[in-house]
Amino acid sequence: MKKWLSITLGIVTATGGFLDAGTIATAGESGAKFGLGLVWAVLVSTIAVVLLVEMIGRFTALSKKTYAEAIRENLGFRFYLFPLISEIIAESIMLAAELGGIAIALSLITGISWHIMFPIAAILVFVMAWRAPFDWIENAPALLGLLTLSFVVAVVALGGPSRQLLSTLWLPHVQQGDVADYLYLAAATLGATISPYLLYFYSSGAREENWSGKSLLLNIVTAVAGMGFGSLGSLALVFLGAIVLLPLHIQATTLGELGLVLAKPFGPVGALIFALTLFATCFGAALEVVLAVSYNIAQGFGWEWGENKKPVEAARFNLVIVLFLLIAVAIGLIGIDPLQLALLGSTVIALFLPISLWPFLILMNDSQYLGEKTNGRLANIAIICILVIAFVVAIVSIPLEILSGGG
Amino acid sequence: MPREKDDIFSIRDIIDSQLVTSDGRRIGRVADIEVEWRDDGSLVLTSLVIGPQALVRRTARPIAMIARFLLRNRFEHTIPISDVTQFGPTLQLRRAAADYDVGQADRWIARYILRWIPGSGY
Repeated sequence: MKKWLSITLGIVTATGGFLDAGTIATAGESGAKFGLGLVWAVLVSTIAVVLLVEMIGRFTALSKKTYAEAIRENLGFRFYLFPLISEIIAESIMLAAELGGIAIALSLITGISWHIMFPIAAILVFVMAWRAPFDWIENAPALLGLLTLSFVVAVVALGGPSRQLLSTLWLPHVQQGDVADYLYLAAATLGATISPYLLYFYSSGAREENWSGKSLLLNIVTAVAGMGFGSLGSLALVFLGAIVLLPLHIQATTLGELGLVLAKPFGPVGALIFALTLFATCFGAALEVVLAVSYNIAQGFGWEWGENKKPVEAARFNLVIVLFLLIAVAIGLIGIDPLQLALLGSTVIALFLPISLWPFLILMNDSQYLGEKTNGRLANIAIICILVIAFVVAIVSIPLEILSGGG
Repeated sequence: MPREKDDIFSIRDIIDSQLVTSDGRRIGRVADIEVEWRDDGSLVLTSLVIGPQALVRRTARPIAMIARFLLRNRFEHTIPISDVTQFGPTLQLRRAAADYDVGQADRWIARYILRWIPGSGY
């Protein structure tokens, strides 16, 4: 019975955790600009994320080592620096975007400018990261995150996509001047969905919950069902963007504008639900991002870490949390709209994706850590495919961002 | 540690490994090692070196001088190899956390920075 409870909780967590400022931004814009023409990008990245999450979960459960720990121990400090530095750069921007998402949600609800809400968002995230035990961090935002299923309900309420729209699934409508834009959003979608911070966080969470060989089933179910259900929210948002925004030629350049997708079917209540959903998903994601980086640094340097300890019991780990939040607030104060920040962050993640993922190829085949449960040939081929995609995405992401003017 | 015959490890097994004390606290990672030539011609591992300067010396030699100028050996520590009770990706140490100089940074930060933030548990 208890096992089924934790499996359900795992699915709920993953469902709520899939959407964040990055995936909301890319999904909304994809639908608004290209109808269903980028659904394939969401599907491909979902499959990749399911595979990577299962692998790192299996790795940590069996070896009792997190991703960051294993990178340093197995590949040495010098090679560890590459994923570390790329994470710090990418996630600084991403955290600012997530905090911005929370701020926009709060401003939609209260009517106060999101610039003022930004520091408040940071404080809320800080309080949670500072004192809440890992259970709360994992479950509270996730339960709220189930609100993303309102996107699915909205698609149904609007009568689903028209025949003409459905045809863009396999034949995207891309005009001459929009090719760079299209490819840029594809790259950003991949970066937003296959976010390494998710892997660092998931791996550390597996240690916080003391996963072992007995947790392998829970891991598979969380990865497949959790990420799978989560992607429904993302797909639904693409559909909503296509059904609601595309006909109106609304480009969705701010997160607030995206609220229209729920306001259309549900009226003012819809706008409120959108704001709450935005708050829940960005809040959960902000926690995951700030913790992922702090976990990464503390684990890589061998410091004491953990959310179930008092802050003074893991001083350097908690200090990093504070500093990283301050950096994100500083970036946020520049005043760039959170949706643009989210797209930029996703692009930077896409740029560094190969660096963050290539250790998988080595670690998942190390029997010292995994015993008999090392990757089979199919799993290794999957990693190589993901790395090839990541590499292509990395090379084209910056040129495309420049060519398309940043979405 | 049982010693019927000498265990052979590669340097890779020791460098970058996590150090955990007898009371289960993580105090850091091995940055470098110290070895000694014995009279019988064997090269023996004598101690583990922990600290940012050792790390810089090993990974970024050119700026090692700058590191020494800035840090002045204040954060460098050595642990004799005899203190290790268990080898592997995690090195288990014989004594408790309070008995080692390593990891004092945690205590310093808790005392002088974190305590001012409410809820720190100080």
